[in-house]
Amino acid sequence: MLAQQIANGLVLGSIYALSALGFTLIFGAARVVNFAYGEVLMLGAFFTLTLVTVLDVNFFVALPIAMAGIAVLSVVLFYTTLRPVMQGSFTSLHSELQIILVTLGLLYVLHEGAILIWGTAPRSLEMGIEGVLIVGDVVMTYKRLVVIGIMILLVGGLYWLLYRTKIGKALRAIAQNREGANAIGLNADRIVAFVFAVSGAMACAAGSLLGTLYAVDSTMGSGPILKSFVIVIFGGLGSVPGAIVGGLVIGLIETLGGAYISFAFKDVFTFLALIAMLLLRPAGLFGRAAA
Amino acid sequence: MTMRLVFSVLALAVLAVAPALLGEYQTYLLTLTLIWAIMALSMGLVLGFVGQINLGQAAFVAIAAYVSSVLRLRYGLDYWVAAPIALAAVVLTAALVGLLTLRLRGPFFVLVMLAFAEIVRLVIANWQDVTNGPLGLRGIMPPDPILGLRFDTKSSFYYLVLFALVAVVIALARLVRSRTGQMLVAVREDEILAEFVGIPVMRQKVIGLCISAFVAGVGGLLLAPFLTVLSPSQFTLFAAADMIVMVVVGGVGTLAGPVLGAIFLVYVPELLSFTSQFRPIMMGILLIVVTIFAPKGLIGLLETLANRTRSPPAATVAKKEGSHAS
Repeated sequence: MLAQQIANGLVLGSIYALSALGFTLIFGAARVVNFAYGEVLMLGAFFTLTLVTVLDVNFFVALPIAMAGIAVLSVVLFYTTLRPVMQGSFTSLHSELQIILVTLGLLYVLHEGAILIWGTAPRSLEMGIEGVLIVGDVVMTYKRLVVIGIMILLVGGLYWLLYRTKIGKALRAIAQNREGANAIGLNADRIVAFVFAVSGAMACAAGSLLGTLYAVDSTMGSGPILKSFVIVIFGGLGSVPGAIVGGLVIGLIETLGGAYISFAFKDVFTFLALIAMLLLRPAGLFGRAAA
Repeated sequence: MTMRLVFSVLALAVLAVAPALLGEYQTYLLTLTLIWAIMALSMGLVLGFVGQINLGQAAFVAIAAYVSSVLRLRYGLDYWVAAPIALAAVVLTAALVGLLTLRLRGPFFVLVMLAFAEIVRLVIANWQDVTNGPLGLRGIMPPDPILGLRFDTKSSFYYLVLFALVAVVIALARLVRSRTGQMLVAVREDEILAEFVGIPVMRQKVIGLCISAFVAGVGGLLLAPFLTVLSPSQFTLFAAADMIVMVVVGGVGTLAGPVLGAIFLVYVPELLSFTSQFRPIMMGILLIVVTIFAPKGLIGLLETLANRTRSPPAATVAKKEGSHAS
């Protein structure tokens, strides 16, 4: 029973980690708290679903195409809505409020736009993989193993991108010191746009995987976005390892709390964990001290 | 200042005679607008004078609405006994939450208040014995009579709401000009400097949050008997976001702004006879467009317009500038 719950918690945790990664990247590089992020995740699931059902392609073919589509959409949204309010002094409170307001506006637009296009009925997204693996007491569908596999693949890819490529280096420079990066001639806008693309792709993957485990519907973004908030604060805003560890920890807290204490209040545990974390260590597990 | 006073009195006169001229449905709509205005004012206080976005504001509305309604429906308390208890609960909660969260800046505060709102919503949804869970409370009666006044008709309830709105506006107008208000603005503008000149920053912020929670609570007290039903789904992130849209569209940092924003956002979809389907998407687009192109909102636009019509003779402009400063 316990081993099974831990396994379930880790599967849930990997999806949470994936969705938190995209969120934390944007915050790290651009100091943007993206309230529309959950809706981007939901749109990603719908992109994949549409490719699978309308064009009848395999899930594993549809996923990368959808990820590319969401990446482009994210860049377009960044240039049309966020860049105009980010041009002022970068750390000012005013600009910070404006950014939050704009992403809140996007939250409405994307959410309602998806309802207009796809309606509100939940739909199932098939991965096309059946069967279960049984190890001792633990029962695990192959589908869930694939979810963990994809998450490891994407995290590996992200690390490669961040630490082995030029643009990754530039991105880390921007995250550390924006003015300094500007001074040595890095084009901040283009790098931030790139981060939005990567973050959108991650969100799309997380949403599509969530969709295969549960269902795809217009409200599916609200859970992951709240979880992402909790995870990135738990792990440290802007920290990549923090998002991964935080995602797994929150997945475990939620599953174990739900199984052994109270299912109805399982979400309350995660929020209490968040508040406790903020009071004890506001910078999060892996965070730098708050600026 | 006198211009503003004339406008306020005129607006109040229009609002006071409105139910006599309007039908039942229009009175209902106007009542809804005024309740939204009260809630938007509470958000405006946080946004404009504490300088924070508070996504937990809907939770304060929810607490007041639920505490008062539970006390009335389950324990048979009189509305006017339940109301102060509910307000006390809201202010106490705000003080506790504020002490914990107002140390946090920028995104941290926003996110934790969102978490707080979610906790409140989840507790309401799951504490079935008291709140009836997701099914919600039903059959909430109009406020009980007091001092010989009855509130069981649409128009009498409207006057109660109007009275509450006027009281809130006057109280907030005094607050903004008071020492506390000035200190809040100082803290908003530069926290470190404010601390340096001896303003108890933390205490001021907590007081600011408590006052705004009180106003949100007043909104909740009116919302419950107005809707007659309460359910946790009314108090999601979108409820707080709606208040934010009203403040931003109306004009941040003013008292008329949130009221104007509430009127605008209730009546524009109504006049364009949008189906309710398109209302949220309009809210979103408005929020984005106003934030980017008119950060001062409708109030800002009106002021520019007024200045432009007055501008031709240069001498009067100078005079007006002088009177503006006072």
